Amino acid sequence: MEGLMTIVKEGWRYKGAGNVMWMAHRISGLGIMFFLILHVFGMSMSFFNPALHEIMLETYKTPLFAVGELGLAACLVFHSINGTRIALLELRPEWWLQQKKATQYSLVATVVIGVPMILIMAMASINHFVK
Amino acid sequence: MTTQPLGRTIRTVKPIPQARNNFERTMWLFMRYSGLALTLLALTHFGYQHIIVGTQNITTAQTVNNWGEAGKSINLGQFAWRAYYMAILGLAMLHGMNGVRQIAWDYIGNNKTAYTVFMGIVVLLSVIVTILGTLALIFGATAK
Repeated sequence: MEGLMTIVKEGWRYKGAGNVMWMAHRISGLGIMFFLILHVFGMSMSFFNPALHEIMLETYKTPLFAVGELGLAACLVFHSINGTRIALLELRPEWWLQQKKATQYSLVATVVIGVPMILIMAMASINHFVK
Repeated sequence: MTTQPLGRTIRTVKPIPQARNNFERTMWLFMRYSGLALTLLALTHFGYQHIIVGTQNITTAQTVNNWGEAGKSINLGQFAWRAYYMAILGLAMLHGMNGVRQIAWDYIGNNKTAYTVFMGIVVLLSVIVTILGTLALIFGATAK
């Protein structure tokens, strides 16, 4: 745990925000991949085993998944926007002069798109479960 | 790759030259282009199902309705849904598998056994699930 804290603290001090974004990109990517495999399995059951397909869909409607859904939204929005930044900058190296600005823009875009999405989904879940 | 502004150093990122490692070069490019495509495809999919439809309203009837019933002919709309999901499925699985490969290489790459076993499990699981998903998208949903 102490080692991890050192990595985070020193990584931030030495390498700055870009390093944290790089780390977050990997973690969010792993999270999405985990859900993707589960999700594709569940959806494929609509052909192979409709009863199991229904069980999978009903599982997504439980409080645990309602919370997980918010995490997935955060991962997906961040990974998409940060990934777009990476792809655009690396395919257009002349834009690298604007690198700092691009990092800030992608964080702002993540918040502007992600927070309302998460709030809408959280409100829907609260309305559904707290009644 | 424009000319450098005076007095500034600009680093350039390029895919690995063709002759050196074709696989890594192709994957490098693939990650960027599939990523751009997936931003559009996956975000619209997530936004549609979770915000417009709402997680609590997703039903098996919706799947049958969107995909079309197995064994029956489908209309243009259902074909579009299947093509849309097919694109996301293929791109996302390849993008995800390659992402996991890079992460695994960075952290357990020095341990060949651990790396091979871990990647074997990830690839096997992903490929099986992708085949199941592809077959389901080809044949359609079974009505209850």
